[in-house]
Amino acid sequence: MIHLTGGRDAGATLLRAQTGQLLSEFLFGTPPPAARARRGESGGEAGARINLAYVLDGGERLRIIDALITVISGAYCHLPQKRAAYAFDPVQALHLLRSRVAELSEGEFHLALTSIVLGLRDAHTRYSGPRARQGGVATLPFLVEQYGSHDEPVFVVSKVSAPQLIRDPKFTAGVVLESWNSIPFARAVDLYADRETGGRPDARRARALESLTFRALEGGPPPDEMLVDIGYRILPAGTRREIRIPWRVVHPASANTSQRPGSRASRYLAADQAAEVVRRAKKMMFSGAVWQAERSGVAVARDKGWIKTWFQDALAARVITDKKQGDLGYLRIWSFDVDDDDAFIAEVIRLLDLLPETGLIIDLRGNPGGLIWAAERLLQLFTPNTITPVRFSVLATPLTRALARSPFNRIEFEAWLPSLEAAIATGEAYSQPLPLTDPAWCTDIGQRYSGPVVCVVDPNTYSAGDLFAAGFVDNEIGTLVCVGEGSGAGGANVWTHYDLREALVGTPFELEGLPADVGYTVAIRRALRSGAADGMPIEDLGIPGIPYEMTLDDLLHENRDLIGFCAGFLAGIPRTAMKVEVNGNTVAVTTSGLDELEIYADGRPFEAVRKISDGIQQLPLPDSEVIEFAGRRNGEICQRRKVLT
Amino acid sequence: MSLVIAGRIVPLSRAPKVAASESATFQGKVWIGNDGRIAAVTKGSAQGPKGFETAPVADVDNDLVIPGFIDLHSHLAYAALPLWVEPNRTVPFPHHDIWPTRPTYPESVTWPAYALIEATPVELLAYAEIRALIGGTTSIQGSPPSNRPLDGWLVRNIEDETLGGEVGRNQVLASTLTLKSEQLGERATRMRQGATFIYHCAEGRPGSIVQREYLATRTAGCLQRHLVAIHTNSVDPAAYDTWSEPGAIVWSPFSNLWLYGTTTDVPAALARNINLCVGSDWGPSGTRNVLGELKVASLVNEANGWGITDFDLVKMITANPGDVLAQAWQRQAGRLQPGALGDVVVIAARPRTDPFKMILRATEAGVRLVVVNGRPLYGTEALMRQAGATYTSEISLNGRLQGQSRRLALTRFDADVQSWSFAEVLKRLEEVRADPKAAIERSRRLAFASIRSGGAPRLRLALDMPTGKVPVGGLPKDLATIVVPPIQPLAHDSEFFASISGRGFHGGLLDGLADFYK
Repeated sequence: MIHLTGGRDAGATLLRAQTGQLLSEFLFGTPPPAARARRGESGGEAGARINLAYVLDGGERLRIIDALITVISGAYCHLPQKRAAYAFDPVQALHLLRSRVAELSEGEFHLALTSIVLGLRDAHTRYSGPRARQGGVATLPFLVEQYGSHDEPVFVVSKVSAPQLIRDPKFTAGVVLESWNSIPFARAVDLYADRETGGRPDARRARALESLTFRALEGGPPPDEMLVDIGYRILPAGTRREIRIPWRVVHPASANTSQRPGSRASRYLAADQAAEVVRRAKKMMFSGAVWQAERSGVAVARDKGWIKTWFQDALAARVITDKKQGDLGYLRIWSFDVDDDDAFIAEVIRLLDLLPETGLIIDLRGNPGGLIWAAERLLQLFTPNTITPVRFSVLATPLTRALARSPFNRIEFEAWLPSLEAAIATGEAYSQPLPLTDPAWCTDIGQRYSGPVVCVVDPNTYSAGDLFAAGFVDNEIGTLVCVGEGSGAGGANVWTHYDLREALVGTPFELEGLPADVGYTVAIRRALRSGAADGMPIEDLGIPGIPYEMTLDDLLHENRDLIGFCAGFLAGIPRTAMKVEVNGNTVAVTTSGLDELEIYADGRPFEAVRKISDGIQQLPLPDSEVIEFAGRRNGEICQRRKVLT
Repeated sequence: MSLVIAGRIVPLSRAPKVAASESATFQGKVWIGNDGRIAAVTKGSAQGPKGFETAPVADVDNDLVIPGFIDLHSHLAYAALPLWVEPNRTVPFPHHDIWPTRPTYPESVTWPAYALIEATPVELLAYAEIRALIGGTTSIQGSPPSNRPLDGWLVRNIEDETLGGEVGRNQVLASTLTLKSEQLGERATRMRQGATFIYHCAEGRPGSIVQREYLATRTAGCLQRHLVAIHTNSVDPAAYDTWSEPGAIVWSPFSNLWLYGTTTDVPAALARNINLCVGSDWGPSGTRNVLGELKVASLVNEANGWGITDFDLVKMITANPGDVLAQAWQRQAGRLQPGALGDVVVIAARPRTDPFKMILRATEAGVRLVVVNGRPLYGTEALMRQAGATYTSEISLNGRLQGQSRRLALTRFDADVQSWSFAEVLKRLEEVRADPKAAIERSRRLAFASIRSGGAPRLRLALDMPTGKVPVGGLPKDLATIVVPPIQPLAHDSEFFASISGRGFHGGLLDGLADFYK
């Protein structure tokens, strides 16, 4: 449980942050005339036109379009796939827009441009218009979630923020939503889904549902309406009620463990940046005390029963008790948005040591991704298998060849260059796929958790979250459970326009700066799976698993049914365990469920296979840098530990 | 500013008005005008041209006044690194594609060089150029690829030099890495349009597979007089016959012997009228300046009985590369004659000694004054004062100067009115050495912030040598594992000589280099 050291002052500070600013004031600087009139303010003509914040001239519009034409035709790694999947040619659409650019009003121009980019259905590739304030999120102070089947979903409020932000005391967690601005709620979700990213209908719906109450302003247009009328019932058969809530803009800021702009990690991201900032806003609105504790510099627990952690923005862990399986471990990975993957993984190891080894549920729902290295290197902790990371390829175009040849990018892109150049002769659309996480980095720590593992994802598990799910399945670590049809299907390494501008300096494709803080992000390297799914793209397909439909109990009682469902997959698996402790010149290997032990010193067998039974083996410590212990059961390697001396 | 240097002139000029022969020397004066060009070279007390009434005069007495040295082969990005060879290797490398694949190459060469070039590019550049300068070099090839022009600061960066706008950029093209036929074809066209192309070509043991690189340059049409081929030590000398209108070869004997145990067949090239120049190559397998490399050339010459004279050897770092640059820049370098670049070095000498032997045997301690474009950049305190040097600071060469002090006229890269000392340069390099990870990360963040804010881009330099066998992405997972070896002293010193003996594949020949410095 969080205790706010600042007491009432801290509470007031949090409320101010959650209250933010009315969307209307945020966009237009002053309240709209109607609101001013209501407040009795004078000085504005009734019905006066609201001025837009910034108007681009024709030249500025051309600069934006030309940059996007260059980038989407030359660097956008999913271009062939998107053309095939949506029968849509974004490059031609941009050329058409270019031809009539000066004829459009400001609103028409941005709508047209946003529609073209949104047509890619790719949360990695986004356009943000002029003066899109970084980190701002338009919010309504409640969370909507759905349960039931895809065909007959029920939409309920699962969380509400500070009571001061919602004047109707009956509008609480559990109310069933009926309408949205007088549109039946399910219809409203479908309408928004049509404007959302996501390759599959369930993914689009999941994002639409989120966007009804949270919208990152740097990743898309702000809400059209300043206020929302919501029809709801307290009980399905109860009286229909209405509430009007204004959109507000909040700034949740980044966590101190998140990726820092310009860091080495920033070129190795796989994330939906807009979803990440929305995740932060949700945390601020619904877990305000935890959000506020980030700046305190101390390890905190989310709530009673959770383990304290320094990485509270990305991780949470607790022991859960299942009726049939007894105590199990539960690891929530909210995000892979970390700057230091070593520190992140070290913290996961510490948390795993505090969880029972009887079985583990890793919950990645809503994880918008982050650092690729963090996601892929984490996999090794849960398996004795050697992890094969996802591989990434680059679209083979003159632009990517120039980028790879540039001396400033050579150290990073040299490995891609031969196949990019060979593509001229082979006609391949892509470069050779190569891992962004070196395979050696995926085995440098080794297995740390003994028990069986199940992983849960949903359509908002995106990008690095998809990579983790792919690695989990393709490296045969455990069972993947999906709320919805699969993970979010974001299969790429994403760069900002700053990254691309810097990388193209000195090439014939050098990009100009963009006017008025206009920006974009772009999927630059396309992810392909390994293992049995070798070569399959992740984009738009995601990682399917065993489907699960959320229940009302899940939404209101901390995923009660979902956890029971997952725990079922941990049953019936023979339990094995291994623990290794070095004490001076000896090493103690404690095992259970294993019948053979193999020891390798710097990759060489150290002794003959040792027959073992449950208990402790006291062994001399081999004189080597890396010692590896492999435990077998009936011939199959079930446990593996690595010790670096 | 104009400048007059009086002393024993070694003009290496073929202009009859200057000297009767190319090897002639005389007491006289070199007159450098405000434009940085040599206005006149006069004998004895002959009157000079007009306009020099208030010009400072540096009188060097019997010391030698010679053209500034020109190093046509270096890699400035790697200047701070020590000599490298794969430990425990017992046979020479066959060719240039082999040594970068050795396991210790990235950790010994690529990563420390990356740390310095990424984290502190300006200081690295300053270090490399100062190192050239204290050896008498006034023009140097091998500038790292950069995002901003590098001309007009300290020594002349040959690929970037524009002579104050007189010649266009990209007049001198260069490539360290082997080019594909398509790229060579483009270079052939550029050379026909007047560009000079400096190309690492056929570097390896005689007969090794890389000799086909020479064939590829011929097939692509690159064997022109504007081609400057570095190394060609794997080439069958008979193949030089196909270079019907020959250009130049840059000979780097130290590097060749260190890596391959053999070197370029210089007599064969000379016999075909190929212009021979000497280049120092890079930190991991080269000398610290071209004056040092000249001594290696002399050692090889003697060991093989080639009979190349001291005069001809000295021309390989002055007049010969000067003629190469004259083609590119339409302005003579490497010779002291009217109209030529005002790049001069003064070497200490006793009266009536053979000037070319003196130059050949000179060390950093004998370099008394270095002038680039008429600007005194480095020299003894007295001569720098006489020459009217400004923004100077003292520079220490670790006891190599036998008690004499030296001054360096260095200004900050982005502010030409702000003095900068070598001690400050070294301090920053040492900071990066102490914590490469923090320095690299900070630099990356600043570069990103600069591009984000739309401000002027920070100077960025890039490595130009092979990367080696590295993880995808080029760098180790943990940047803290990068070890930057001690920044090497500017001058050839006892530790350098000690690191030669018993290493590399020179069969002891390079051990003799130390004798020149005793």
